[in-house]
Amino acid sequence: MTVCPDCDLLLEAQMPHPGEKLVCPRCGCTLLAPVENSVEKTMVLSLTGLILFPPAIFLPLLTLDILGLESSGSIFTSAKAMVASGFVFTGIAVFFTSMVIPFIKLLLLFLVSMQISLGKANGATTLMFKAYKKMDEWGMLEVYMIGILVTIIKLLHMAKIEYDVGFFCFIGLMGATILSSSFLDENLYWESIFSQASASKTACQKAADKGEKAVHPA
Amino acid sequence: MNSKNRTETEVPVTGLEAGLMVCHECKKVVALDDRPLNNCPRCGSPIHPRKPDSVIKSWALVLTSLILLFPANILPIMKVEYMGASEYSTIMDGIIYFFKEGSYGIGIVILVASVLVPVFKILGIMMILVSIHFRIESWLSHKTLMFRFIKFIGRWSMLDIFVIALLTGLVDFGFLTTIAAAPAAPFFCGVVITTMLAAEVFDTRLLWDAGTGKDHDHS
Ligand SMILES: [Zn+2]
Ligand SMILES: [Zn+2]
Repeated sequence: MTVCPDCDLLLEAQMPHPGEKLVCPRCGCTLLAPVENSVEKTMVLSLTGLILFPPAIFLPLLTLDILGLESSGSIFTSAKAMVASGFVFTGIAVFFTSMVIPFIKLLLLFLVSMQISLGKANGATTLMFKAYKKMDEWGMLEVYMIGILVTIIKLLHMAKIEYDVGFFCFIGLMGATILSSSFLDENLYWESIFSQASASKTACQKAADKGEKAVHPA
Repeated sequence: MNSKNRTETEVPVTGLEAGLMVCHECKKVVALDDRPLNNCPRCGSPIHPRKPDSVIKSWALVLTSLILLFPANILPIMKVEYMGASEYSTIMDGIIYFFKEGSYGIGIVILVASVLVPVFKILGIMMILVSIHFRIESWLSHKTLMFRFIKFIGRWSMLDIFVIALLTGLVDFGFLTTIAAAPAAPFFCGVVITTMLAAEVFDTRLLWDAGTGKDHDHS
């Protein structure tokens, strides 16, 4: 028996096979969507994202050429310029949604996946995965990607545009981020974290009990 | 519609009636009689049959965004300096510019992301809240679907802000030309953030409770 989180319908649940989905018949909510080798795939993709992150954010994205004058910028310098021009709130919103949150999300997802695959998930893993879920929709790399395309089209007729390393790294970063979250099997993650964390807790408890017995031999 | 309504009322029991509740964070199903259980056994989050004060929080956030929507659209959002002369433009000016240039595709993208999406989000959430208030029984699955769509498109309104940030960073040619944000930008960010939060705190199950006459108290 399971319950739909969106409409509270009571359902007869059967674990779907990987690639299949369990969908609520009343409201259409996806309840379970298992993915094959979810932990490995998610770990590899989040690591790829982490590697691409520094060049994608800090290296120049585009170089503009107007009448021989050149100007280039990165994603980081763009947010910084916004703050510097006096729009602190807007600049910080851009910083968080395009850099800080996407980075923390990738880092958390990598750490959680690694701990699960090593069988060493614990209480901290629970907190990390919860933080990842909370931040999920506030990372906006794909929106930023469309923003880059709009910017290019906007500038096309007023400047000559050169695509720099940061541009290609950013496409990779965005792709790795989208794939890492699409391969994420949430239910599997929660179940693995829970079983590993409770196993480590009982192991600690046993060790503590033993220690106590050793101190106070009955 | 008639037969649909009948199937909706014939639907078996809800989780709440079966004495079960779902964790908001990890979707774990927990028995109510485990109470006083305050936290989810799987993820440790506070657990409630429904999100607490969901409707009133959603109203507060959605009305805030409705207020912010006016300065966001009326004030200029971007400033272009060209040879020492400043020119301000609103969101609508930017869209009209693309249409005049003949870039219809991009004009439509910005029109949808910056104007239609925020308005649709605010009206959609308000409509759902009103329909809970009047316990409207029809279109429950459609309203749920619309809400899911509102949640999905929420983030796309940041598009224009990202474009302005990129233009600010890239177009920096000293006296020749520079681009910067203008006073509407923070209001526009505020609209995006408050509508996303309004969707975040809303509990779609309340729609079904109200629509199927099961909205007794959940405390
Ligand atoms: Zn459902
Ligand atoms: Zn939980």
